[in-house]
Amino acid sequence: MPMKGRYPIRRTLEYLQKGDIVFKNTVKIMTVNYNTHGELSDGASSFVFFNIPQIQYKNPWVQVMMFKNLTPSPFLKFYLDDGDQVLVDAEGKDHKDISQHVKKILGKSEEVLRAEELARMVHSNPANFGPKKYCLRECMCEVEGQVPCPGLIPLPNEMRGKYKSQMKGTEV
Amino acid sequence: MSVKSVSVHAKWIVGKVIGTKMQKTAKVRVTRLVLDQYLLKYYNKRKTYFAHDPLEQCTVGDVVLLKALPERRAKHVTHELAEIVYKVGNVIDPLTGKQVAGSLFRETLTDSMENPAGSLTEKLQELNISAATREILQKPSEV
Repeated sequence: MPMKGRYPIRRTLEYLQKGDIVFKNTVKIMTVNYNTHGELSDGASSFVFFNIPQIQYKNPWVQVMMFKNLTPSPFLKFYLDDGDQVLVDAEGKDHKDISQHVKKILGKSEEVLRAEELARMVHSNPANFGPKKYCLRECMCEVEGQVPCPGLIPLPNEMRGKYKSQMKGTEV
Repeated sequence: MSVKSVSVHAKWIVGKVIGTKMQKTAKVRVTRLVLDQYLLKYYNKRKTYFAHDPLEQCTVGDVVLLKALPERRAKHVTHELAEIVYKVGNVIDPLTGKQVAGSLFRETLTDSMENPAGSLTEKLQELNISAATREILQKPSEV
């Protein structure tokens, strides 16, 4: 059974995670003004259709707003933390051009992204045991090949302290 | 104690004004895109904020930029009006700076009105001149 909708690939986790643009920390709001009809707005409307979900997935704390048919020309506007505003004209451009331009001016560069990923890897050590929120495993019984959890399957008598103490008592 | 002074998580917000019935306060609706976990599609989620507007310059329907106040002003008022981005009925295109309505440019009426007024005064002057010349012509004829 195929997925529903026009380009249902947009609704897959893989597509969302492939998003290029990660905004710098100063960008707080992104506004897209475009028109529903008209050829000049084609690039902007396909940018909204294809790239906005990827951007919002990678930047969950940036507010993204869309305005339709307000002005004759399509454009993007970014509101930064210091009160600065960045205006990007989108008239007649293709959606790939727009996303590349936005990545160039306001996106984090490849080096910064790689450095952040390294920092994250260093911070979380996969060898640790602990709560699921911070570590991969909670107990050794979860690992394949190790002694299973005695809550599910009772341990053999040789490993049970109670049995061993009973045996000691009866012998001596 | 120190947590409340930071007031809100969001420093800058863009929203639409939905109510101005309170004195010096605007009720603003802010929409954010939230991912539906099953459909994996983004939908708008609304939240209302109250913003301090000392000059009462907002009308219902304006798109407005709010800035977080350093300290909470009242029980619900956490932001203040920074800028009216698009005024309802009077949207100005940021690229050209001209007034705009939908996908057309609005030409202001002042340009077209000046010329008719100018031509009217000119016409009056012409009439005066023509009346004066007629009088002069008639007088000698009378005499």
